[in-house]
Amino acid sequence: MHSASRWLFVLLGLSLAFGASAADDPNEKAIKARRAAMTLQSWYVGPLFQMAKGAMEYDADAARTYAANFDAVVKIDAAAMWPAGSGNDAYEGKTRALPELWSTWPEAGEKAQALIEASSQLAAAAGDGLDALRSKIGAVGNACKGCHDDFRADKM
Amino acid sequence: MEGYRREAVWDPVTRLWHWALAASVIAGWSLGEFRTFSVMQWHIYLGYLTGCLLIFRYMWGFVGPAPIRHRTLFASLRGLPDYLRQVGRRRPSGTPGHNPLGALSVIAMLLALTAQALTGLFSEDDGLFFSGPLASEVSSDTVLLMTGYHNLFAKVVLALVALHVAAILFYLVWKRENLVLPMLNGRKWVRRNGGDHSST
Repeated sequence: MHSASRWLFVLLGLSLAFGASAADDPNEKAIKARRAAMTLQSWYVGPLFQMAKGAMEYDADAARTYAANFDAVVKIDAAAMWPAGSGNDAYEGKTRALPELWSTWPEAGEKAQALIEASSQLAAAAGDGLDALRSKIGAVGNACKGCHDDFRADKM
Repeated sequence: MEGYRREAVWDPVTRLWHWALAASVIAGWSLGEFRTFSVMQWHIYLGYLTGCLLIFRYMWGFVGPAPIRHRTLFASLRGLPDYLRQVGRRRPSGTPGHNPLGALSVIAMLLALTAQALTGLFSEDDGLFFSGPLASEVSSDTVLLMTGYHNLFAKVVLALVALHVAAILFYLVWKRENLVLPMLNGRKWVRRNGGDHSST
């Protein structure tokens, strides 16, 4: 793992630790943590989508780094960030996660697994040219969308 | 048919426009509903095409032939209460253009598609990482709101298209009036007195 991402995890951990004192409700802490993880995923994979669509110039080194970091964030153990009962039915305005995520489990878990699979392939190919990136990025987008469609509300 | 005359009602441009819109909306809607990363750009292109067709239609309503004009549409709409009272009669409406119910359907369809085209400009799919061309110009709250409306209006468009097809079947089977053929060859059976509660 790159040292930059290691520092990022340290920072993420620290910010969570400080956030903990602010919110006593463990579910609210979990919601904050998983939203932070989503933000990080988007941060790393976003430029790869821009490159694939031609909105950003392809750079093999940058693509490889973005994909490796995205893969790292996707693979963190996030199970504890999704405690049962932390859906938008109980935490309106704080999360867009639908209660169906838990009521239809393990469907969401299988979708997360699909993202990990797609992300692994992207990480392996992203630095091997624009065509290689393009051939793998679609599966990542479809995996993200697949979960959003079923388990995320349209609005907060 | 007694009391009816076959007349050229729909001009060639309107007919071409109608089928172009139908194709654009069906393709665009399908690629949106069943979107994947690889087809999403085409959904956006079809959105532009639909938008251009709508702009043309609004202009055509001012300068086109009489049956297609906005003025005719609204005039026909005024006959709606009377028309509804006897819509169950088993005879063709024979209107030289849109009958009052058809006029209402056209207005609803144009408004719903316009809403779709406009909200699409500000929408995003943050799973597929595609966004409308103006999404970056507004706040993320607005994008979220517009995306919600875009998803909602997609259902409205589906309902209106289903209603459109159901109405055509109702006219064909119950009222013995084929409305598809006039949209292909332009020639429509028109009642001599102007048709059911036509104000023209």
